[in-house]
Amino acid sequence: MTVPTNPLLHYNPYEAKHQLDLSLTKAYLLLHSQLKPPFPLTIPSSSEYALLTQALAFSLLTQPDLTKINLKHLHASVTDGYDIFTTTLLNLTDNCYPKLLPVPRTQLLFLCSQLIDVAAFKVDSLVISLLRRINGGDFTEPNLWLCAELAKILSDNWDWLVDEPLVLTSALFVFLRLLADHYRLVSGPQLDELKRLEISFCIRVLRNCFHLCLGIGRDLIRLLQDLFVIPEFKELWKDLICDPCKFGVLGFSDLCDIYRIKTPRHYFLLRISQEMEAQLRFLLTHVKWGNQQRYQVWFAKKYLSLPGSETVIVDVIRFICQCYHPSKEIIQSGVISRWAVIGWLLKSCKRNYFEANAKLALFYDWLFFNDTIDSIMDIEPAMLLIVSSVPQYMEITHCLLEFLFLVVDNYDVQRKNVIAKGVLGAFNALVKRGVVHSLEVLMNCDKLSPFLREKLSKFLFDKALVSQEKEIIQMQSGDHQDQIAGMPEQAHQWL
Amino acid sequence: MQKQSWMKLKDLTPAASNSINATVILVEKGNTIEGGKEKTETCVALVADETACVNFQMWGDECEAFQPGDIIRISKGIFSRHKNKLLLRAGKRGSLEKVGEFTMLFVESPNMSEMRYMPNANQPSKLVPESQLTKP
Repeated sequence: MTVPTNPLLHYNPYEAKHQLDLSLTKAYLLLHSQLKPPFPLTIPSSSEYALLTQALAFSLLTQPDLTKINLKHLHASVTDGYDIFTTTLLNLTDNCYPKLLPVPRTQLLFLCSQLIDVAAFKVDSLVISLLRRINGGDFTEPNLWLCAELAKILSDNWDWLVDEPLVLTSALFVFLRLLADHYRLVSGPQLDELKRLEISFCIRVLRNCFHLCLGIGRDLIRLLQDLFVIPEFKELWKDLICDPCKFGVLGFSDLCDIYRIKTPRHYFLLRISQEMEAQLRFLLTHVKWGNQQRYQVWFAKKYLSLPGSETVIVDVIRFICQCYHPSKEIIQSGVISRWAVIGWLLKSCKRNYFEANAKLALFYDWLFFNDTIDSIMDIEPAMLLIVSSVPQYMEITHCLLEFLFLVVDNYDVQRKNVIAKGVLGAFNALVKRGVVHSLEVLMNCDKLSPFLREKLSKFLFDKALVSQEKEIIQMQSGDHQDQIAGMPEQAHQWL
Repeated sequence: MQKQSWMKLKDLTPAASNSINATVILVEKGNTIEGGKEKTETCVALVADETACVNFQMWGDECEAFQPGDIIRISKGIFSRHKNKLLLRAGKRGSLEKVGEFTMLFVESPNMSEMRYMPNANQPSKLVPESQLTKP
């Protein structure tokens, strides 16, 4: 006699069943009769417990009518802090989320909030995995639903959240990033409610937990900049610039304090789905130069074909620069280089807004480059893309150098000297570490416009003088902050 | 009973038996050709693994089920001549399963469908690619 089961995952014709689905179903079929009371009072062995947990997980996900009794059973039988149960849901989220049917999906989010209630082991990882499942550049209903559900769950569990700095700041990073895209979409009741949730969550975190937000580091500024049009964020920006003490955090008195902090790599994974990460790592680890074309077409079809989806290119570029640093073996094995993949991604941007943000994403680590805390591998792709485009693709070299100088001058006019110092440091490090032999390849390149050649020259040599001068002044007198702040204004007269 | 053993495309030789078990990636898909009144629709695609590629024929609802980038497990497939073309297909007794996407290396030559196969001098009943003929 076959036991009827509700399906967990959606399969297209000819699709192989997922291993996790098979093992959860198997556990359920084995133990389904034991999921009804009376429940045994004996403690199960570890293998029995694992099987029971899996059977309960399957039933909880696929049989919502039995939620109450299954939850009672779960809470009564737990002996490992919900480790196996949460890990099961975590594996499902990481490996099968896109295939989950609507009912199991709803149940999964519900179970997540239940696990937060009991401070289950690894529930922080589950929340972070779910945050990753909000696809960038995807404005379909199921994706927006997930976004709203997570915003609600986290807002409703504030007390738990403030004790989980990594989850708190990860959620902030995610919702700040998504808000920039959502705010540009056409209004509607569902979307307006979502935006309201996102804004209120983000502002609450920023206003109440700024000391934790600092841990995100400099990319926090990049995210906040895109939100300047939102009134609540405009107010926040006013305070950040004019009244930093309002945030009450020792060590934060100026934006430079945030620029100085390198954003930990973990945050860049948040905006790349698990599958996208796997595909990018595969492309950059195994596919040889010359063979990348097909993979790029498939990647673009899957992730960049819907309107508005190109917004995710920014996040892919941050991921490639920060999270994927190939070993020497991989670099020497003839695998396609990061700079070439980034070149393709930049070309895939159809609108100027996205292209500008993508270029900023590429150069962001240059702006505040500090040899002691930043990695040369963060800035290497941009340099190689600039240099490798000579002489065949000069428009790329021109476009990138023009953009770089534009950003140095305009990204943060008040703190131009900090940014100029960062970019100069980046150039110096790239030469020192041998990423390029020297910058002569650009400065003596007759295909490069005279304007850019001169600008580059001036930048590299004048800045050196400026920083030397600054050091002398600093050594002589620590009190003359105004002098130091004022000086770069004068030094930039030549631009 | 044939034991299921997995093979690489470079080892394909035409045979009347459905004994091909291979994992391939779908590289490019041709147009679906309508079957007309009584015939099912067909579609020819290029599939490949790290050793070779081959022309792959899909029948009926297989045509819509697989897209470029799909990794397909072919069980008990058949590699034989069909209207003078050498094609790999699931056939009546074989099956196809999509087991993944993207993460597989492949080559686009040699194409086993374009090989010339000759009888091996020592074993005339078995065909081998012309390049592999043993000298008498």
